[in-house]
Amino acid sequence: MNHLTEEQLIEHYYAESAQSAGIERHLRECNGCAETYAELRTDLDAIEPITAPARAAGHGQLVWQSIRNFVPVHRQQQQGLWQRFSHTKGLSFATACTLLIAVAFFAGRQWENYQRPLQIQAAANDRARQPIGLVVLGDHLGRSERFLVALRHGDSTESSALVKAEAQDLLSANRLYRESAIKSGDPAFAAALDRLERVLVEIANEPPNGSHARLAELQKELNTDGLLFEVRVLRSRVQDEQREQQPAAVRTLGVLI
Amino acid sequence: MEENEHSIIRAVLSGNKEAYGALVVRHSYAIFRVAFRITGDQADAEDVVQEAFLLGYLKLESFEARAKFSTWIYRIAVNCALNLKNKRKPDAFRIAEDADITQHQVQVADTAASPERLLLSQEIDALQARAMQELTAIERTAFVLRHMEDRSTEEIAATLQIAPNAAKQAVFRAVQKLRRCLAPLRVTA
Repeated sequence: MNHLTEEQLIEHYYAESAQSAGIERHLRECNGCAETYAELRTDLDAIEPITAPARAAGHGQLVWQSIRNFVPVHRQQQQGLWQRFSHTKGLSFATACTLLIAVAFFAGRQWENYQRPLQIQAAANDRARQPIGLVVLGDHLGRSERFLVALRHGDSTESSALVKAEAQDLLSANRLYRESAIKSGDPAFAAALDRLERVLVEIANEPPNGSHARLAELQKELNTDGLLFEVRVLRSRVQDEQREQQPAAVRTLGVLI
Repeated sequence: MEENEHSIIRAVLSGNKEAYGALVVRHSYAIFRVAFRITGDQADAEDVVQEAFLLGYLKLESFEARAKFSTWIYRIAVNCALNLKNKRKPDAFRIAEDADITQHQVQVADTAASPERLLLSQEIDALQARAMQELTAIERTAFVLRHMEDRSTEEIAATLQIAPNAAKQAVFRAVQKLRRCLAPLRVTA
């Protein structure tokens, strides 16, 4: 066996060595280690425990009086009962987890029920907030676009009469849409419909026997190409909004189911 | 006594604040003693006693019914004392590791009771006190618990909330430093 280290000797002195018997045997056989251990024991034996000064008889009471005004009254009766029911921390933890899951589940159900009418209302509000009824407006803009195309390519008095009749028909509907656009706070849309309305008014009020030259002049004056482009843009915008609204409506229905 | 202490703790937690006073009276000196051994100062030890019992009261809800109150409050007090030692600046007087130990040599062979012997004893105490001051707070605390409070390495580790091996190493380092500082005592006539 090798010589004992100082750490082993210190452990042995405090009776904490796992190989106490082996160390004792080695100390009997090895004079060097025995001498080292004797020195260590002498040194440690010489270190007397520090003697604390004596305290007066009422020392504990004085300590309590010095802190009693700084401590609050415990109000833990309920927790004490709880602790008695749940004897271990693990049980308390498992119980807490179960309760948490149950509460989360029922809260989720309640939340869903609470949200359902709100979602229906929100969907209704969304529809109400749409600048104009998208589907009908889309139809109107489609008709207007076709009307302007026909106007641009119109070359006879017969066609001129048809164009005039169509303009009169579109005019009343366009007024309603324009007013709706103003009320719903969509000035860009309202302005575009206003320009379309001016064209429709001009054409609807043309004399019934208007010549082809007059129609061509009117086409030029009203700059129908620019207006046609504007109506196409509006119709495209309305179609986009229709596509955006459609999935939302499906989702709403999904929640309802 | 243990069951009695548990009933006192239940009473305190139920709102009977004054019941805690009985626990303070019962354990105050044991707490003062270990606090004094760690801090080496009477006023500091009194501060530790107050702080330990105050913290003990405030944390009483976390006290587990299976534990012993004496062990629980003892651990709180040791940590309060350790924290206090860590906050304190090192003492102005410290023994340098390379100091000439022959300057501190004392004679211990004469066992007769005499004025010289008393003086010698006082000098040994002073040397031991200075040697203890040489230790770090954790070394001193671990050594006090091992050598003077007779606590096992496992108990020291649990009290200081460190690994058992770290507790063992702290005791080893403390013993090595103390032996070096107290070497003059080995010189006999």
